[in-house]
Amino acid sequence: MKPAMIEPDERFREILDRLSSMSIEDYYNPYRMFEWPDELPEDMWWMSPTLTTTYGTDVAEELTQEQLRALSRYESINFYSLNVHGIRELLIEVTKRIHTAEFTAPSQFFHHFIGEENEHMWFFAEFCLRYGSKIYKQPRGGAETIPPHNAESLLVFARILIFEELVDHFNSKMALDKSLHDTIRQINRIHHQDESRHIAFGRELVRTLFENFRAQATSEELAQIRDYLKRYMRFSFESLFNPQVYQDAGVDKPLEVRRRLLEGSRRPEFEQQVFRKTLSFLTKNGLLDDKDLATVTTKRVAS
Amino acid sequence: MAQQTTASINEVKDWVLAKHTERQDIGADEDLIETRLVDSLSFVEFIFVIEQASGTEIDMDTLDLDDLRTLAAIEKRFFAG
Repeated sequence: MKPAMIEPDERFREILDRLSSMSIEDYYNPYRMFEWPDELPEDMWWMSPTLTTTYGTDVAEELTQEQLRALSRYESINFYSLNVHGIRELLIEVTKRIHTAEFTAPSQFFHHFIGEENEHMWFFAEFCLRYGSKIYKQPRGGAETIPPHNAESLLVFARILIFEELVDHFNSKMALDKSLHDTIRQINRIHHQDESRHIAFGRELVRTLFENFRAQATSEELAQIRDYLKRYMRFSFESLFNPQVYQDAGVDKPLEVRRRLLEGSRRPEFEQQVFRKTLSFLTKNGLLDDKDLATVTTKRVAS
Repeated sequence: MAQQTTASINEVKDWVLAKHTERQDIGADEDLIETRLVDSLSFVEFIFVIEQASGTEIDMDTLDLDDLRTLAAIEKRFFAG
């Protein structure tokens, strides 16, 4: 059966029109927008200390200030690298759907979305290559839960939304952090401004897609969706704890450090901070029935 | 040289066993993905461990995931020669 065409309600239509107008009004040339100094000072934090993976942990107590600042440099390159990979997936998925029958209604906004995301990907990659000399890879594979076959678009846009909300948590804070270099603040500020539109759009689209899915879904399929989304949130959060980053920053025993941080007492608190708005949205709209990311089942297998 | 290879693939095996304390051993041809010994959440570490043990950088863009399915396949692809 072909997926039904998305029929936005009046609220969604108004939001689509408003967001498209804002994209036109706020349009800027990213290739001229930024100041790119030849190098960024190494004696500064490149990421707000409270957003680094070791903040408030016993691991941080074992490191010198110099090591912590070095870690903030590599963690920032990892963070922007995750953006590059996330945007690649997002561009592929949205491009597959633009001007198809199912996505007729949001296709006008998709043009702005694709254009802006392409530009974000450029400035994030530029930052990584200029100041980190590389883009960290994001290995994807291993056993995964099998989502219901008729939930593909719902899960694509839910993943995009989760990714954007995670990133925005960091962007919104770093945009305001006066201890960071102007270039870093500017990248985060500009991205935060554009993403506020994309997140508003994503929430409406996910809400609409989920309402259509829920109308025909079994309770088991709804449980599969919950399981999948929680696992994806955990995966996204844990991507911030890249063992290669700890190694590059000269931290001993990178895998052990990663394990200590992921199993440590700060992890649940940090994870809840990062996904506070996302979890509220997902539970309010019935995609999740609780905010506890530690409870994930692992029954189904796919290759 | 052969002993070095065995020691290296054992680092990968030890990492999997440390994550699954209910297991005593892993067969060389046991499918790590199907048995969920390696899932999407542990995949980042899995790749890092293979890279560290083999001294090879893994190119994710050209990687054939079948080369990672069993310890025997990993040994053949990343540790042999």
